[in-house]
Formats: sequence, structure tokens, C-alpha cells
Amino acid sequence: MDLGDVGAAVRIAFIYFTILYLTGLGGLFSERSGIVNIGLEGLMVIGTVTGAAGVEVLAGPAPVGLGWGAGGVVLGLLFGALCGLLFAGVHALATITFRVDHIVSGVVINLAAIGLARFLSFVFFEQATQSDPGGPHLPRIDIPGLSSLPAGLGRAFTSLSPVVLFAAFLVFPVWFALYRTRWGLRLRSAGENPEATRSLGVSVSALRWQGVLLSGLLAGLSGAFLSVEVVGNWREGQTLGLGFIALAALILSNWNPRRLMLATFVFGFAQAIPLRFRDWPVIESIPPQLIRTIPYVVTIIAIAGFVGRVRPPAAAGRAYEGAGGS
Amino acid sequence: MATEVAAVPIRERAPWIESVVGQSLALVAAFAIAVAIGSVIVVLYGESPATVYGAMLRFAFKDPTSIGTVLSIATPLIFSALAVAVCFKAGLFNIGVEGQFLVGMVTASWAALTFDFLPGASHMVMVLLFSMVGGMVYAAIPAVLKVTTGAHEVVTTIMLNGVALSIVSWALNGPLKYTNAPPGQNVDLRTDIFEPSALVPKIGGAFDVGASANLSLLFPIGLVAALIVWFLIRRMRLGYEARAVGSSVGSARAGGIAIGAVQIKLFLISGALAGLTGMQQVLVERGALVQNYESQLGFTGIAVAFLGQNNPLGIVFAAILWGILSRGETALQIETEVPREFVIILQSILILTVVVVYQIARRRLARRQLQRAGTQEKGSADAAAPQDVDRPEPPERMSEVD
Repeated sequence: MDLGDVGAAVRIAFIYFTILYLTGLGGLFSERSGIVNIGLEGLMVIGTVTGAAGVEVLAGPAPVGLGWGAGGVVLGLLFGALCGLLFAGVHALATITFRVDHIVSGVVINLAAIGLARFLSFVFFEQATQSDPGGPHLPRIDIPGLSSLPAGLGRAFTSLSPVVLFAAFLVFPVWFALYRTRWGLRLRSAGENPEATRSLGVSVSALRWQGVLLSGLLAGLSGAFLSVEVVGNWREGQTLGLGFIALAALILSNWNPRRLMLATFVFGFAQAIPLRFRDWPVIESIPPQLIRTIPYVVTIIAIAGFVGRVRPPAAAGRAYEGAGGS
Repeated sequence: MATEVAAVPIRERAPWIESVVGQSLALVAAFAIAVAIGSVIVVLYGESPATVYGAMLRFAFKDPTSIGTVLSIATPLIFSALAVAVCFKAGLFNIGVEGQFLVGMVTASWAALTFDFLPGASHMVMVLLFSMVGGMVYAAIPAVLKVTTGAHEVVTTIMLNGVALSIVSWALNGPLKYTNAPPGQNVDLRTDIFEPSALVPKIGGAFDVGASANLSLLFPIGLVAALIVWFLIRRMRLGYEARAVGSSVGSARAGGIAIGAVQIKLFLISGALAGLTGMQQVLVERGALVQNYESQLGFTGIAVAFLGQNNPLGIVFAAILWGILSRGETALQIETEVPREFVIILQSILILTVVVVYQIARRRLARRQLQRAGTQEKGSADAAAPQDVDRPEPPERMSEVD
């Protein structure tokens, strides 16, 4: 047991934070606009396979890929995000245009994503459940100053993917867009009181479409980050329910982008505990599977009202009748 | 509209027939759209849709063993879809069937290893009971939380699904981990192999179905379960109360129905059905709980429940249809250039179109019934004024074949 473990664990927590925060922010945009999105996991799955494929083509070595280097990786990640956005369009079409129950559509999204991912994988990689390992990724960066912290703590800030920093700084533009712009106010009002939004002559449907598409963009990026930057290839089932953990963090954070940061980091750290602290006292006697349930159990306790108070956007989950087609 | 309403004499059965015809039409339309979209993909692969769909159908029915395979694929889905449907009737969304079936597999495996001294069939019966108890206990958590604290069952069951994955993994790594592996061999993580008396017997032999089809006694049990659910929903007090709660919580409460009690009972029944979902793979196909067990059966059950419109009979047919499609994977692999993953795409498209088309049909139906109600009330056709037409419909109900 030494502090180096802590540093390494924090580094793992940063990686999980990135996955969970990007996905959670996606869910935040969607649910703040009034569309419940339990399809985040499925959107991530699409991001994992398409992101890996995009990077293989744009940044991979010559016979298949174009070898564009870091720029190609960035474009590949964006391709994954874009495919997530397109797939989220299905959820938007079902829930907003056809007013299908949000939960129903979300379940279908998750189910369809598994099949679609296999199909796409077959198209891209000519094998259904994984791509070749060791694909190109972005150059790793060390945070100046912090990476030379003593006693191994610096390990937390060493050799990080630039996407981690991107996710960490994303809170500023997101917070500004949601709370300091007209668009953000309207988006939130569409989720709280769509009748009032409508009465101001603003299209509720358009705002909700934007919210859902943003959720696909962010969850897709998160998935692409997972397959490209964390694992190095696409593998079936690699999202491991992280989309649901992001959903849990979103609920715990009361749909607030700043609290979501804290919640996703804590959940990320919880994921790191069984990996890094196996031999610490107390922890060694707890089965690692039990530790992995922490995010879920904490969320159940919170949603049942035993601690804190969880209040979703008032109109989330309800179809808005008055805005049909507009 | 007005003339049509005036022309039809208002009778009790008219809306009922209209409802059934409308729903059937919606299903057919959804199916046609899904097949059409699937055809586009097939054409992109340079194959003829007729060849591909033909191969899938032919393969499913080519011999008794194929039919048996289709039915054994359908077996777990009948249980999970019934579990979903029971809750839907009261407007409850049990996404936790997935978790409940996982826990059911763990409790059943424990029972299979613990009660191996029981004679004959009682061992198997005990194992099946424990699978149901496991599912029930796990379903009781969201039910009790909902009734006592108002925690939404969708959120709690999603979280409990995550916990259930860890429970299976913990059981396989800890208390239920195999003790006697064959010497000198690497064994994938699993429980000990169960005594044969714990297993559900295969019934294919009597119908010329080969043992490889894995058609077991669980299929007829599933049919019986569907009958019981139908009887419960249609003929028993609990079913009536469930439908009342599902149509309007307020009216149900005003009618003196103890809503919390109804919700808990339905969740327990749902959990018991969910628990049986895993038994086809544990007690028929593998004879043990293995690490790479087949998951997603609970979520697929939700899809099958939609496809069957939450009607027990419809669910049986929907599960068999799902089995036919899944069996088609092998057909594609053998007879066509289209990758087998096409089937999963087709299944997903089918569910999406069913959900969307059914939603559209339901709204049209509700609108028409509203118009009729307006006519009845004022005795004149012009009562169906536009503002009535656009009035929001009553609270969402997943399905109701009234």
C-alpha cells in the first residue's frame, strides 16, 4: 500500500470520468429538453464501433488507412460522435415526432445498438465482435507541474489522453450555454414547462430534437474515446453498462452539469478501487464485484429519497401534444 | 367523419371489433415496413430479398428439429415477455426483468447444488421454485421502493440490473465457483455441473425433434404460464384492478382499489416469471451456470412483449416469430452472402416500426372513440368538435385489447 496506488487510481478515475461525463452531459441535454434518454448505453455502443472504424480508416497504416496521424484520430473520434448523433435521431424521431413512450424507445435503442454494432463491425472490420487491437491514438500528454507531484501522486496526471482535458473543460461552455444563453433558457424551459415555451412562439419540438441529437453526439464521442483512446480496439460489450452508470450520475447530480462532474469522478474512482486497492486492508476483504455496485446502490438510495432530493425536469418523459409537427 | 359515425349504429361490440381490426392492421403494416427496409439492405448486398427471406423461412420449418430449435429459442422469451406484460397492464414498466432473471439463475443454481439429495423430479421442481423466488425477491425491491417512497420503477430497476450483473459475477467467483474441475484441464468459470435430476427433461423425442434442438418441458410450461397470465388479467380480481390502475390511478383509487398492494403483487408475479427466463439455458442447454451465459433475454422480452401487444397469446406468437428470425441467422450464413447480423438488424427495425405504427394507430383509435363518445353524449354528430379531437388522450397505456 503506497501513494503511487492512489495516483494510479486517480488516473483511472480520470479515464472513467471522461467516459461517464461525456455520456452524462449527453443525457443532461436530452433530459433537460424533456426527452428521457435511457438509450445512452446504445448510443455509446455505436460510438465505440464507428469511432474505431473511423480512426482505422483515417489514421491507420497504409493499406487500409490514410495515415493522417493525430488529425486523423481526431476526425475518427468525431466520426464516432457523428454516428452517435445520427443514431440518436432514431430516438428523436420516435419520441418527438411519433410520440412513442420515451422509455420504450430507449430500450429499443439499446437493443438495436447491439445488433447494429455487430453489423457495422462486420461491414468495417469483416468480423462481428472486435477489431484488430493496437490502433492509433492521440499523443499522450503530461500536465505540467502536477505530473511531477511527489510520492507517485504525479502518476495521476501523467500520460493522459487530450480527450480527458477536453471533457474536464467542457463544463465551462456547457454551463454557459445552458444558463447564460437564450438557447439554454429555452432548452430548459422545454423540459420544465413546454406550454410556456410554446406560448412564447418557440418550437418545443426543435429544441427537443437539438437536445436529443446533442446526447447522441456526446455519447458517441464517449464511446469512440473508450474504444480508440482507452482500449485501442473495438470489442463487443466493452461499454460494460457505463451508459447506465452515467445515467445514475446524472440523476444523482440533479441534472446539473457541475455536480455531474463531481458525481462522475466519484463513480469513476469507485471503478478504480477494485483495480488498484486490492491489497489494502478492509478493501481486500470486500469482493470486487460488490464495489462495482456502489454507483447503482447509491443512486437507488438517493432516488428513494433517503438522502438528498432528486428532482427531474418537470416535463421530462411527457409527450408534448401541442407542438406536433412544428 | 361525421357521416361515418352517424351511419354506424352505436353498439357495444363496434369499438371492440374496431380495436382488434385496427391493431391487426397496424401490426401487418409495421411488419411490411420492416420487411421493406430490410429488403433495401439485402439489395445493397447484391442479393434478392425473395431469396433471403425465403431461405430464412424455409430453414425454420425444414424439419422437426428446426421447428424444435425455433420453439426452444422462443421459450425463455415467452417467460420474460410475460413478465414485462404483467406489469404493463397496471402501467408499470419493469425494465428489471433482465436483473430478475439473472438473480433467478443464481438462486436456481444454488438450489440445484444444495438440494441434490431430493429424489426424482422434486429436485427439478425445487430448482424451478427457487428461480422464481429469486426473481420475486429481486422484483420486490423496486416494488416496495415505489410504493413506500415513490421511487420510479424504471430508474430503480435499471440500477438493479447493474447490481445483478455483479451478483452473478460474485456468485461465480465465490460461493458457487466449481469445486471439482477435471484434472489437468482449464475450465471456464462456472458452477459445478448439476445432477441430472435437477435438469428439465427434453421432450423433442416424442415429435421427432433431435436432442440438439434443446426443446424441453419448459416450452409447454411457458404456454401454461401464458394461459395463467391471460386468466389472471381477464378473469381475476387482481387483473381487473391492475387494468383499472393502468387506465387511471385516480379513478382506481376513487374506486377503492389499494394501489400499492396491486403494484406489489404484480411485481412479484412478474419477478417469478422473469426468474424462469434463465432456466432454458441453465437447466436444459448447459446443465450449469456458466460465465458466458446468454444475457439480454430480459430486454429482448420487452421487445417481444411489444410485438405481442402485451397480450399473452400474442406474446407466444411473437416469441415464436422471434425464434424464426433468430433461426434465420444460420440460413443466411449457409445460403446467402448477407451477414448473419442482418437478422438482429431486421429484429430491431421490426420492433421500431411496431412501436411507432402502433402508437400512431392507438392515437387514431383514441381520437375516434372520443368522437363517438361525444356523439353519444349530445346525440348529434357535430359534438365531435375539433377541440375534442385534439384533446390529450388519457394517461399512457402500453397496450389494452379491450
